[in-house]
Amino acid sequence: MKRGTGILFLFYILVGAVLGEGEGESVYRQRLREVLEQRANAVDVQDYRTGGLAAIEAKLALRQDAEWCSRRLIEIMREPTGDMFWMFPCVAIANLGEEQLSTEAKQALRAAWKNYMPMRGDTENHWLMYYASLFLMAERWPGEPGDRWFNGKSSDENRDEAESYLRHWIKITTERGQGEYDCTHYIAEYCIPLIELATWSRDPEMKKLGAMMLDYILADFAVDTLDGIYAGAHARTDDTQVLEKWNGMSSYFAWVFFGNCPRPRRNEDFQTHFSAVAYASSYLVPEMIRRIALDRDEPYTQKEVKRFPAPKRGPRQQELPVYKQTYMTRDYAVGSDQGGGLGPIQHHSWDVTWAVKDPRGVHSTIFSTHPHVSIDELQMYFAEYPDALGVTITQQNKPTYLSPDKLIGSSVYEQVFQDKDCVIALYDIPAGTQFGHVSGFFSKDLTRVEEDSSGWIFVQGGNTYIAYRPLAPYVWSPLSVGGRRLHSPHLKNGTVIQAASVTEFSSWEKFKEAIRALEFSQALEPVPSVKFRTLRGRLIEAAYGQGLRLDGEAVDFSRWKLFEGPYLNAELGSRRLEIRHGEKVRMLDFDKVSIEQK
Amino acid sequence: MAGVAPRRNENTLYCLIRFHGFGLNEAMWPFAFAKNLCCLIAGALFFGGCLLLEAGEGKEPVIVPISSDALNHALYLTVSMNKGFFIGSRVPQLSGIYRSVDRRQVEHLGYNHVRLDGIAVDPHDSGALYVVGLNGVSRVADSGRNWRILTGWSMTQPKDIAVDPGASAHIFIALPDGVAVSEDRGETWRRSDRGIERKYTQTIAIDRSRTDAVLAGTEQGVYLSEDAGANWRRVLATSKTVNDLRQSPHEPELFIAVSQFDGAWRSQNHGCDWVLLPKLPKGQTLHNIDFDAHESSRIAVSGWGIGVQMSEDGGETWVDRSAGLPSRNVMKVFFDPDIPGRVYATPYHEALFVSDDLGRTWRALWFEGAVVWDFLFIRTK
Repeated sequence: MKRGTGILFLFYILVGAVLGEGEGESVYRQRLREVLEQRANAVDVQDYRTGGLAAIEAKLALRQDAEWCSRRLIEIMREPTGDMFWMFPCVAIANLGEEQLSTEAKQALRAAWKNYMPMRGDTENHWLMYYASLFLMAERWPGEPGDRWFNGKSSDENRDEAESYLRHWIKITTERGQGEYDCTHYIAEYCIPLIELATWSRDPEMKKLGAMMLDYILADFAVDTLDGIYAGAHARTDDTQVLEKWNGMSSYFAWVFFGNCPRPRRNEDFQTHFSAVAYASSYLVPEMIRRIALDRDEPYTQKEVKRFPAPKRGPRQQELPVYKQTYMTRDYAVGSDQGGGLGPIQHHSWDVTWAVKDPRGVHSTIFSTHPHVSIDELQMYFAEYPDALGVTITQQNKPTYLSPDKLIGSSVYEQVFQDKDCVIALYDIPAGTQFGHVSGFFSKDLTRVEEDSSGWIFVQGGNTYIAYRPLAPYVWSPLSVGGRRLHSPHLKNGTVIQAASVTEFSSWEKFKEAIRALEFSQALEPVPSVKFRTLRGRLIEAAYGQGLRLDGEAVDFSRWKLFEGPYLNAELGSRRLEIRHGEKVRMLDFDKVSIEQK
Repeated sequence: MAGVAPRRNENTLYCLIRFHGFGLNEAMWPFAFAKNLCCLIAGALFFGGCLLLEAGEGKEPVIVPISSDALNHALYLTVSMNKGFFIGSRVPQLSGIYRSVDRRQVEHLGYNHVRLDGIAVDPHDSGALYVVGLNGVSRVADSGRNWRILTGWSMTQPKDIAVDPGASAHIFIALPDGVAVSEDRGETWRRSDRGIERKYTQTIAIDRSRTDAVLAGTEQGVYLSEDAGANWRRVLATSKTVNDLRQSPHEPELFIAVSQFDGAWRSQNHGCDWVLLPKLPKGQTLHNIDFDAHESSRIAVSGWGIGVQMSEDGGETWVDRSAGLPSRNVMKVFFDPDIPGRVYATPYHEALFVSDDLGRTWRALWFEGAVVWDFLFIRTK
């Protein structure tokens, strides 16, 4: 740990300890200011050619160096670039700079929205950023004809189209779940446009919807976070954060809102974008959401339904529900979705994450995956010709897509079953599939690894004991990032994992004995299947393609609610989310655009 | 933009030319033959007689002088100029619409738009274009100065566009989730894909000789509508996407379709029935097809790995015309309606290449490192 960041971390712990449960707005604002000052101080104000939009946002938020901001903005607006990643900083600069920017700088900004055509993109997060920004700028510059806008549409047309999309997105999200759910990085690309709406929309209802959706996203994160780490399954993550789970934007939001982890040092421009708006905003995360993120006194399971959009190509023409759950304890979290082809490039279907005192540089997670590569599958999600598509994907910040060693990305040949802190992942990979092996990730930060003659691999990470059962033979290979890969080159395959707290057992040996004593049987033919009585006494029967039985009863996922758990509850299609902590209840009603708190 | 220096396949002859430092630009072409001959002799002395055999593959490009009087059309292209672009990344070179009125110079029109998949002319105004791409359908007028996106958020990433020559206010677009039609020059749109089972639609073609007949190339084959898109029926089944559909300029009943996996198909009854063209490969991606306006039986096909294939007998037999191109991964091939014997090819992330001898020899013309997505000739006289 660097000395400076270590001191900061100690400061954060001390402040947290002193402030306790109600650390309050001042600490939150101090964190925002820390981000902004760091970014602002990195600028050489004698040089009008360095520093990007984030630097301008930081300085404007801190009300520093307005002349530099104006001159630099004029420079940047000569050659705009970045599409919707350019649009939302423009929104922030226009608002933060209202009283600070020169007339020429404001004119340059306005002209750029005519002279530069940002792309709308092709993902859910792209569209939210694009349309939230367009909505706010159309409000800012009302009554202007189409020839003043890059897309030829008038201010009224742009505002109406953007509002229509934003309301549509809010509707489907609160009825059927997010498509890009629980993302470790893209969470920023939801939170930033939402806080901009919540802060600067001139339409009271859109302003309120922005704040309510920000509550919604942060509550969804809070319930799945263990000490600031986004645990379990993600629609999208990246090669770094799937291992070092703290190191990304989700933990920035944990740090800034919940104060339960140190500040990550990746994606600092994104941190600045959010901090600049938040610093000017009256939005505060509700205290009960913060408490949900921190309260790990009792284990709980949070179940959620998400939305897997219909692909562009292929036989499935409809969206599918995603059934996601996280079992959370003080020492570890176990989370999953049902696996399968839920997104070819950045999906992460399950893991066990254990708590660590300091997450920096730590790979506090264990999971297995099938490194699936399929151009046919890519064509389901990208409206492109096939032959260059795989290589193109690797050039778009997804460098490992074609690699047999990759540790992210879904596989259509994986099915995942979970009950509390037990996960069963089954793989039935057809012969001839490009990569016919299963990879298990074994972290460099495991403090124990023992291969037992029973077939279990017993490991310990932090205060968590974990029993890992590969269903087929394997070999070990080292990983360049540290740790080892369990490489199992068998097409019919699987992993069973059972986690437990160290405190549940008097010794490591007792844990191993307890696992060995559990009822367990497996088969690989005709399909991989497992029968396992968990540490919690539940009998799990899972077979590839045949669903899940718990204590002899088939699990009917169609009865799942949008949210179900001690903290978050919502019915499918309801457009309402109940957030509960202790005696307090906060009801977000997106039909009535109302918040009720008791 | 001025023409770029020609690029040649990295065969031995080209390597020798580069080794000896003979720059090749258009002004130098009259001297090129002599230079290459010198190179060839020098190389032969150095490497031995075997080189002479290889050098025969790299024929000197034929260049036909162009008289502006002979040009009746302007050429429009939609181009992505950036390798490795992704949403949000910097765009160092101008992409979007390019126009050449003289086949020598090319000018960029309108916005730097990183992805435009298709282009069509507005029959009401030959100076106006429709383009489709990442941001939807746009109408572009006044040499790119007037640009309006015509679609909203409910229609995204159209892949192709066709304007009905018999009812020129009617516009069809191929969408990843079906077909849509506008009956008022793009001001309003409605879905129009009843009968198309799996919706992904890559290409759309309107039968100029039959009122209300439209063909759509989808991920499951070719669909035909005979009621202006109200209802569709599948007339050709394929296992993967149909990438292009073209109607012969000579015989209106003749259509050819090319596909991602299932080869090329010909219909001689307005798309009602289809026959496989057996000599083109199946299992490889065919990107487009074009008919030569000067010769009714001449057609060309481009594809990934197959380069440029040309037929002089309406598709019965094919000749490979890829020698001299830097890659056999060709996105588009098309004939020039004003210059007999001229054909263009666009290898993936390479320059746009031109041949004045029907693909026997090639030279680079414009756009280093580009992908050309579509082309259009608009009559100017």
